[in-house]
Amino acid sequence: MFDLIILFSRYLFLLYIVLFLWQAIVYIAYEQGGYLGSPSHAIAMQKGLIVWFHITAFLILSYESGKFFFNMETLAVGVAGLAFLLLSMMLLDKFYYEGCPLIWTGMLFLLDMSLIMLQRLEPMLAVKQLIWMALGIAIMLFIPFILRMIPRFEVFEYVYIIVSYALILSTLLFGTSKYGSVNWLKIGPITFQPSEIVKFLFIFYLSSVFRKRVELKELLITGTLSAGIVLLLVLQKDLGSALIFFMTYMVMLYISTSNEILFFAGMGAASAAATLAYHLFSHVRVRVAAWRNPWADIDGGGYQILNSLFAITTWGLLGSGLTKGMPNTVPVVESDFIFAAICEEMGILFGMGIVCLYIMLFFRGILVVIRCQRRYYSLLAAGVITMFAFQAFLIIGGVIKLIPLTGVTLPFVSYGGSSVLVSIMMIGLLQWVNVYCEQHEAGYQNTIEQNAESAEWNEWDGDDFHE
Amino acid sequence: MTSMNNMKRSAQRIFWLITLMFFLILAFMAKLAFIDRQEISSSSYNPRLNYADSSVKRGNIRDSNGDILVESTENGNRKYNRSRMAAHITGYSSKGKTGVEAAENFELQTPHNEVLQRISSIFTGKAIQGNDVVLTVDMDIQSVAGDILGNKKGAVVVIEPSTGRILALQAYPDFDPNTVAENWETLKNDEKSPLVNRATQGLYPPGSTFKVITALTALEYYSDWQEFTYECTGEAVFENKVIHCYNNKEHGTVDMKKAIATSCNCYFAELAKRVGAENIRKKAEDFYFNKEYHFLLAHNISQVALQKKSEENEIVETAIGQGKTLATPLHMAMIASAIANDGIMMKPYIVDHIQYYNGDISKTTVPEKLEQVISIEEANTITDMMISCVSEGTGTAAQIYGVEVAGKTGTAENATGSDHSWFIGFAPAENPKVAIAVMIENANQGGSATPIAGKVLQAALQKYQ
Repeated sequence: MFDLIILFSRYLFLLYIVLFLWQAIVYIAYEQGGYLGSPSHAIAMQKGLIVWFHITAFLILSYESGKFFFNMETLAVGVAGLAFLLLSMMLLDKFYYEGCPLIWTGMLFLLDMSLIMLQRLEPMLAVKQLIWMALGIAIMLFIPFILRMIPRFEVFEYVYIIVSYALILSTLLFGTSKYGSVNWLKIGPITFQPSEIVKFLFIFYLSSVFRKRVELKELLITGTLSAGIVLLLVLQKDLGSALIFFMTYMVMLYISTSNEILFFAGMGAASAAATLAYHLFSHVRVRVAAWRNPWADIDGGGYQILNSLFAITTWGLLGSGLTKGMPNTVPVVESDFIFAAICEEMGILFGMGIVCLYIMLFFRGILVVIRCQRRYYSLLAAGVITMFAFQAFLIIGGVIKLIPLTGVTLPFVSYGGSSVLVSIMMIGLLQWVNVYCEQHEAGYQNTIEQNAESAEWNEWDGDDFHE
Repeated sequence: MTSMNNMKRSAQRIFWLITLMFFLILAFMAKLAFIDRQEISSSSYNPRLNYADSSVKRGNIRDSNGDILVESTENGNRKYNRSRMAAHITGYSSKGKTGVEAAENFELQTPHNEVLQRISSIFTGKAIQGNDVVLTVDMDIQSVAGDILGNKKGAVVVIEPSTGRILALQAYPDFDPNTVAENWETLKNDEKSPLVNRATQGLYPPGSTFKVITALTALEYYSDWQEFTYECTGEAVFENKVIHCYNNKEHGTVDMKKAIATSCNCYFAELAKRVGAENIRKKAEDFYFNKEYHFLLAHNISQVALQKKSEENEIVETAIGQGKTLATPLHMAMIASAIANDGIMMKPYIVDHIQYYNGDISKTTVPEKLEQVISIEEANTITDMMISCVSEGTGTAAQIYGVEVAGKTGTAENATGSDHSWFIGFAPAENPKVAIAVMIENANQGGSATPIAGKVLQAALQKYQ
């Protein structure tokens, strides 16, 4: 009988995500001037779907065959998770008045996905992750206050980059290694990845510099400093983060200068650097070899990726059903390979739904970039989107063997305190930009800040660097 | 405000770049789900192969006559009704999984209409039934091949040329799939490696059967082949390599037809020199040497090592199927089959369709053309030569009363002991219904593959003519 319920649940989960995505389309259509349905109804539906998704999954997870009642511990995590979701939905709307609701629901869906999958894989981690999520949301709620207290935080460009360097260098000096990369710091009982915090600072730094007109001087300084960070990350064997930082730099440079030649020159230089890294470092060669032909070294380099592929392909489009697969045979499944576990138990179609969910988030994020009337804020939003996009691409592409594997976390879903914390805060930043821009667009002519702003506009308004 | 507009345009472009990247992911996931799924998930390294849902009764494996080769017993064990006779095809399902048991694991394990079956099983208590896999293999022919092969190390492969259906695929040494778990240590350490499917995984020098490829290369790339004759004295010297004909027999003046019929090594060595290494390699690769042709069971790819810069002795050795040239019996049967099928090589397949618990048939394999490897004229020409090989040359032991057989024999020197014996061919020559390859390891006398081929062909023709 329980088998039958799990069998149905596979269709149910797919239905949830399809409806969720459909409501996103309804909302976006309304924003773009079309009409497929009421946008507020769409968001209410999405919130409802998240709740149902959560309840369905936790009922299945807490079922114990042969017992009279559900597993109380699992049920407790489920209830706590539900409380967290409902509370977040309430508070986020309050603290970020006029934030984009679609970005909130998208984030909450992914966070819930993380809770469910971690509870399935390793219940202890789900509890920890829930605490990190709550902490992340709590901190995020105060971002608008902090940013309001310091109105011109773009002037601290050097502070951002100096702290970034300090954090990264500290891992080189005091860092501990995990999964082969020396990018963890240990303070008391807590280990965290400074590179996650540096992500935040890096976006602030680049936006601060690029808000002004980019001349050769800025190009050289930012280029050198960013290359330094990328290089240090490579030295820590954290190739994934290095790539993410590099791409963020390139994209933000491109958005602020609109110079295609610069963009492609940068990509060319990166390809050359990658080739060099391939010849210099054996661990890069191992990764590439495992990607090209994992079957050649099944017990060694190809082990991770093959087990991931086994998990994804074995059960087909609808998956094995929650709790019915064998995701624990995939190494680091709760962190880097969590996408493989999702595909295994909820199906490849559901996994594709998750990918579409990311596309939706990025689409809505780019809208924030485009709508915003101040360069600085546009660039902040663009930085956030680029970081997320490339991080998600690297790890999903890696676990399905589209590209060589680089160990980064899947934003919001993978287990990892610093990852979840920083991801949530970055979404907070994006939302704050959205709020800021929505507010200032309306009262553009008569706000006090308008004067200061137009002074800044004049600095580069009418210039000709984009010729 | 132009720079602001520029910025928006750039941001839009970045969005399209990101979208493109994620669509690549979606496309790749679809490829995993629809194209790569079977090949990846049926790997013996996949721990999920051993996952068995105890509530599902694993499906049967049947032959083309519908007879059950493998079924599940009440207590969930697998029963192999034909034991050794189809061992290398069915594989086993105890110490891991191999053969069709591995490749079609998920069909066997997946109940059709699972929801319906589960609901009805709650009321009726009937077991939930996995899907049956129906093979192209005909146990009547498979048994004849197995009986004739006896305890000679080797392999027999029978293919229907027009479709690529495998009618029989026999290899010895074999094993009893019913007792693999009990005898695991013995089987694993046995020097004769009975667990290796020699028909698909065994790589052997093809010997003189490769001359068919050499001849076909000349047909295409050496326009003077009809005028070209050779004075055979039983041996010839090339650079630092001496080529002998079998038993140093002098064949006198030979043209291509006589060279195929009598299997004259010296003729083909000289011909190869004129045709050139590159062309031979090209023709061999047309015939899927060094190339994957995708087959359900574990298999190895046949190899030709010739290169543009290859030295003369390597060219002449390859021309007569020695040197670094290696082929599997399955692949040699595919070559014979392509000649029989007017030059069209078909993709070999062994699963005909899937049969559901309610008798419905699904996923019927559609015969698939690999490539037109030679023209019809070339196919007819080489067929004539292969007919004379059986009617008056080295292949007379494969003659069948009342049926014209086309074929080519082979004797392959090798490092492991006495020569391997080969025969590839098809019948009836005019309108071929079955193609065959037989390989006997370290056969004591030259022709031992040939009479076996004749008998198996005869048995196959009784059913398929």
